[in-house]
Amino acid sequence: MRERETPKAVGWKAWGLMALLFLSLALAQSPQEILSRMVRNLDAPWQAEVRGEIQGPGGKEEFRARVYAISRQGLFRIEYLKPGSLEGNFTVITDKEVWNYLYLTNQLIISPKEKAQVSGLGFNPALLGNAQAMAERLDLRLLGRVSTPQGPAYRLLGQPKPGEALGFREVELWILEEDPRPVRFIFRGEGGQVLGDLQVVAFQRANLTPAGLKRYPKDAQVVRR
Amino acid sequence: MRRWVWLIFLGLAASAQGRLEAGAYLQSGVHPTLEAALALEEGEVYLRLQPGRGALGYLGSLALGPLGFLGYGVQGEVGEGGWGLALFLEGGAGPLALEGRLTYRPLRALPLFPEEGLWGRFFLRYRLAPKEVAGFLLEGGRAEATYALREGGTHTLGVGVAGVPYLVLGWKGEVGEGGEVLDLALRLGGLNRLEGGLYLGEASLLFILSHPWAGSLTLWLGDLGLEAGFHQAPYAWVRYAWRWP
Repeated sequence: MRERETPKAVGWKAWGLMALLFLSLALAQSPQEILSRMVRNLDAPWQAEVRGEIQGPGGKEEFRARVYAISRQGLFRIEYLKPGSLEGNFTVITDKEVWNYLYLTNQLIISPKEKAQVSGLGFNPALLGNAQAMAERLDLRLLGRVSTPQGPAYRLLGQPKPGEALGFREVELWILEEDPRPVRFIFRGEGGQVLGDLQVVAFQRANLTPAGLKRYPKDAQVVRR
Repeated sequence: MRRWVWLIFLGLAASAQGRLEAGAYLQSGVHPTLEAALALEEGEVYLRLQPGRGALGYLGSLALGPLGFLGYGVQGEVGEGGWGLALFLEGGAGPLALEGRLTYRPLRALPLFPEEGLWGRFFLRYRLAPKEVAGFLLEGGRAEATYALREGGTHTLGVGVAGVPYLVLGWKGEVGEGGEVLDLALRLGGLNRLEGGLYLGEASLLFILSHPWAGSLTLWLGDLGLEAGFHQAPYAWVRYAWRWP
C-alpha cells in the first residue's frame, strides 16, 4: 500500500510541476522562438490580405491592403485598397530601400531604408509582412494564448526598442500555433488608444517573382531621396 | 573666384549622389546645354547652363510614406535681359494633388528657359472617389476642367478655354505585362493639340503635334535623349545623362 502524501508535499510537487511547465513553455515558446518558427514558416513566397480599422487624420477609417512577400529575399509589396484615397498606391520594401508609389501624382518615391518614412498611417506597414524587421526593432514578450477562427494563437506584445520611432507605443501580434503566421495586429498609440486593429485573411502560398513585386507603371516619375 | 566655385562644386560632386546632363541644341547653330544636380542631406541643389543664361536652384521635399509626397523648389537666374526667378510646388497627400509653378524672366531662352515674362501654372486634382479624379488647370492664359475615370485604363473628358473654348479627350493605360504605358491626350477647338507618350521602361517615345503647325518627337533610350521638332523653326536637341554613384 502506497503511503499517502501530505498536503504540503502535494503542494510543493504541484508548484514544481507548474514551474517546470512554465519553464519549458518559456524555453520552448519564447517570443524569439515563436518568431523564428514564423520566419521559417513564411520562408516560401506568400500573399495575404490585411483588413481592419486604422485611426486616420479624420477619425477611424477602414483599411484594406494586399501583402505579397518573398521573405527569403527581404522583398515585400503592400498594395493599398482602402481608404479610397490610397487605392492604387503601393509600398515595396527591398533589403535596402523603400519605394512608395503614389497613384494620384504618378510618382515613385525611392528612399534608403534608414531614411524611409513609412509610418504615415500611424503604424509601419513594413511590419505587416516582415517578421525579421519586427524582431530587430521590437522588444517582444509572450502575453499568452488566444483562440481564433483559424485555430489557437500566441499573443505577443512588441514595444519599439529605444531609439526606434515606429509611430506606435506597442503592437499586439497574434501568431497561429500550428501554422505559425500572423493573423492579427493591434497597434496602440502613446495614450493606449488603438491606432490600428488589423486581421490577416486569405493567406496563401503563391508563385511570386521579384520582378512582379517590383512592378510599377513605366511612365511614373521616379524620385530618389 | 570662378575657379573656387568650380572646385567646390566638383568636390561636392565626387562625394554626393548626383546627375549630369549634357546636351547640344541645334537651331541656327549649335548651343551646348548643361544641367547638374547634387543630392544634399535634405534636398538637392542644381545648376542649369546654356549660352547667355544660367540658373542655380534648390529642390526640397517632404515624404509622407504611402500617404503622399510634396516637392518644392526655388530657382534664381541671371543672363541676357536680366535676372529671373522660379518657384515650384508639386505633390499630393491623400485625395489631393497640387502642382504650382511661377516664373519670371524678361526673355525666353530655349531650350532650358522656355517661358517669357510672368508665367504661372496651377494644377489641382481631387479624388472624388477611388477611381474618379477631377482636375482644374490654370496655365498661362487658359483654364481647363477635367474628369478622369479609371476603368481598365484612365479615360479623361474635359473642357477648356484659351480665348475660345476647346474639348479635352484623353486615354491612358497599360499596354504590356511589365507596366508599359500609353498616354494620349487630344485638345480640339480653341486649342488644337495631340500629345502622346509610349513608356517602355528603358525606352520612351513622346510626341506633340499642334495647330498652328508645331510639333516635336522625343526618344529616350536609357540616358540618351533625342528630340527633333518644329517651333517657328526646325530644331534638334541631343542629351545624355550620367548618374552617380
